[in-house]
Amino acid sequence: MDPVAVTAFFQTLVQGLLTGGLYALIGTGLSLIFGVMKVINFAHGDFLAIGMFISLALFKTFNIDPYLSLLVAAPAGFALGYVLQRFVLTRLGDRLGEGSMLATLGLGLIISNTLLLGFGAQPQSINVPYASSTFSFAGVQVSISLLIAGLGTLAVIAGLNLLLYRTELGRAIRATAQNPLGAELQGVKTANIQAIVFGLGVAFAAIAGVLLMPLLYAFPTVGENYTTKAFIVTVLGGLGNLPGALVGGLVLGVIESLGAFYVNNNYRDAYGLVAFLLVLLLRPEGLFGKTVKRV
Amino acid sequence: MTAAPVTLKRPRALTFGNLWLSAAVLAVLFLYPFVFGKTMNFGISTVIFAGLAMSWNILGGWAGQTSLGHAALLGIGAYTMTLLATPERVPAFFGGPVAPWWGALIGMVLAVVLAAVWGGLTFRLRGSYFTLSTIAVALVIRLVAINSEWTGSSEGLFMPELPTVFGLDLFDRRTEYWLAFGFVTLTLLVTHLIRRSRLGYALQAVREDEDGARALGIDPTRMKMIAFMISAALTALGGSLYAIYLQAFEPHTLLELPISVQIALMAIIGGRTSIQGPLIGAVLLATFGEMFRNVFSNANLLIYGVLILLVTLFAPNGIMGLFSREGRKLGTAR
Repeated sequence: MDPVAVTAFFQTLVQGLLTGGLYALIGTGLSLIFGVMKVINFAHGDFLAIGMFISLALFKTFNIDPYLSLLVAAPAGFALGYVLQRFVLTRLGDRLGEGSMLATLGLGLIISNTLLLGFGAQPQSINVPYASSTFSFAGVQVSISLLIAGLGTLAVIAGLNLLLYRTELGRAIRATAQNPLGAELQGVKTANIQAIVFGLGVAFAAIAGVLLMPLLYAFPTVGENYTTKAFIVTVLGGLGNLPGALVGGLVLGVIESLGAFYVNNNYRDAYGLVAFLLVLLLRPEGLFGKTVKRV
Repeated sequence: MTAAPVTLKRPRALTFGNLWLSAAVLAVLFLYPFVFGKTMNFGISTVIFAGLAMSWNILGGWAGQTSLGHAALLGIGAYTMTLLATPERVPAFFGGPVAPWWGALIGMVLAVVLAAVWGGLTFRLRGSYFTLSTIAVALVIRLVAINSEWTGSSEGLFMPELPTVFGLDLFDRRTEYWLAFGFVTLTLLVTHLIRRSRLGYALQAVREDEDGARALGIDPTRMKMIAFMISAALTALGGSLYAIYLQAFEPHTLLELPISVQIALMAIIGGRTSIQGPLIGAVLLATFGEMFRNVFSNANLLIYGVLILLVTLFAPNGIMGLFSREGRKLGTAR
């Protein structure tokens, strides 16, 4: 095979895997929330936008390095998610599903339009020297920012796994996901656990936003696109399936990247959507799931 | 799904099905151009969106299938009518531009065909999964419109010169208002007819309890499909009218997710289980949007977000639900 074509293939593949890592991070948050609360969070991308704008605002006002703003964006995201779940969404009571879908849709509109009021519609970016720098590995160009984002994603997902399977809190989260009533009877404060889970989900979205900031322009409705990506990732991996979300993210990144390079760049977003529809129709339990019940 | 304990409940359908209320609303809309003749643009777009919200409600309210993809159907109506009316874009065998009323009709037929295929594929999915699939379908259609030469790609289309209807100029704001008024009357009429028909009762049964409805011998997929096709036809008709009103449009104004969300939220905020709810919701939201236009400039969807959050938390059956005891007491059953 032509070596140039081989390099181009690997270039596209690496690009897809790294972008896919970010999709995985966003999808993991959404999937975690769905897994515990059976809530489809339509504001997920808007939480990502909040992360982006926190990073942007800190850079513009205090000249703080975008990656350092993680220290602000992640806790802020967690706090926001905790409060929203504990004091707003929990009021929906038994009317989860449809009710929560509409409520989070409303939240998303409130967030994006508030950002619009605060920052204007103009796309803005952070100008850091390393934003566009790359290094070359076996002829494949890798963007430093994208690599950092990919590694950050792995770290967060590894941390989440430690939390879920090595700590008491993790046991309580898993118990709440499996059987909220049973967990409550065993002394787990499920309302608190659900708020923590929502907080974690929002924090993941905010972290993804910060990691994307050196690579992308921030604008108030940037989240819309990422809400869709998060849905695609979670459906590919199986709703509520966390390892599935990681693989789903990588698959989406690679599908988009290969499709854009080999078929038509204009339809980049369409390949994921078509894969999403096919999986939704043929294997609603996700590509790798076995037992997730159809809702 | 766990088996719900059998309990007897009051019927959930609300009581705002009477023709008098609809007639009163239409009477108010009829007087609009005589009282507010200076603000016709607001009136036309509000009345068109009221009709769109009611069209949405046939699927979203009566059948309980929350679609967030209706912008695609709106777009089909607008694009079909405009493309067929533009001489340079009409394929030779049509032999020249097609009159807008025929174009609108063809758009409706195309929308029905799309809805049949779309519904046939996605009605196996329930609840939120169905909603997710509608977003995906609409986004794919949007991408096609943005990237295709024949749809004018991202620049969109200009409305060509149109023939007159009974000597009336279609680009005259008053004519457009009466067309919009006719559209809203039609959707209201169709909704009333459906409510009192076998289809209407079957749809409500499917909405409240799909498995229960099946046990009664109702074919839920068939019922949802019929509702989708009627909803699609009316939405496409609204799309054609909207295109005439806009005179120029691009994918961004017709096919984006926020348009779908806007139509759905109008119906849901007004009250999806009543007949006049979507109409009231559309008028209310348009008025609020207009009032806050100067305050919020282009962040006018903020008010939609606040209202939908309040409605889902405190008035699950929408504004109209507040006026009936059942509507206040019961959540939207799912």
